[in-house]
Amino acid sequence: MEFYKRHKKWFIVLFVLTFAICLSIWYLFNLKHNDTVDVKADFTVNALAFIKEFQQDMTSANKKYSEKIIVVNGNISAIELADTTTNIKMIDTTNNSFIIFAFQQQHLTEAKMMQIGDRVSIKGSCSNGAFSNILETEYITFKRCGVNK
Amino acid sequence: MKKTILSMALLLTIGLLYAQKKTTTSATISFDATTAIDALPKAENKTVIASLDTKSGKLAFESTVKSFTFSNPKIQEHFNNKGWMNSDQYPIASFTGEISNLSVVKFNKDGVYNVIVNGELTLHGVTKKVETTAIFTISGKAINAAANFSIKLDDYDVKGGAILAGKVSKEPTILVSADF
Repeated sequence: MEFYKRHKKWFIVLFVLTFAICLSIWYLFNLKHNDTVDVKADFTVNALAFIKEFQQDMTSANKKYSEKIIVVNGNISAIELADTTTNIKMIDTTNNSFIIFAFQQQHLTEAKMMQIGDRVSIKGSCSNGAFSNILETEYITFKRCGVNK
Repeated sequence: MKKTILSMALLLTIGLLYAQKKTTTSATISFDATTAIDALPKAENKTVIASLDTKSGKLAFESTVKSFTFSNPKIQEHFNNKGWMNSDQYPIASFTGEISNLSVVKFNKDGVYNVIVNGELTLHGVTKKVETTAIFTISGKAINAAANFSIKLDDYDVKGGAILAGKVSKEPTILVSADF
């Protein structure tokens, strides 16, 4: 008891530190992605101009856009089923380069209601642009997308 | 002369209609690298490019590493960092190979076919030979190809601190599925 009284201050510091570490670990383990639609966009682009930027300089376009939240305005060229979800594509028909959008779980219904030819505004996290050796064309992938409000 | 042109056009049309190379840009790859002490390292990518040549049995996949989505943004960040996939330097993971027992698959007959796939998997800038079993499901004109296998991260020079600490499985399981 005497030992506790003499070192009371240190016991409190130790308790607070342990509590703070546990809280930080709990916070990190339970982090979730925000709803992309509610996140402020870094860029707003037109689909065809965006594809062209990647075609002209893939490296600098990736540096500029990778992992950024982007609003892409354009027309839907194709709708593809991906497992139980739906992907939306915007294609540059002159060279078959394309942007593909995978939707966030809470926005899948919006994706399923879209039609080919619809003019849409999609907000998502740009993963990367690359050249496909399989399709022999450039493509840009987006994840965690939703319809821009 | 007209008949010859007409015949050639007809042959070309039939050839295009029955083109053997089928592609998709919405194949899926998911992996599970969870361990007893960490249930977070698992992710999926639903924008994988894949092709299948039904005549030669050649099969290929291309996946943008940054397209893998985790439930936890912090783990996603670690996954793309230098200690794990280093996706800025190695942005693409790919597979090229072929079905070694193609004759068992009847692409014009509905059914479920077990095949063996051999090829090369490139990950983290390292290419290794892999062999796995896969299941082809034919239903009308639809073909689904699915495979479930595991890899050793050490083979691909992926040796981050989280892997050494046992937070990430050294042999994650990978599930691939493509609808052609």
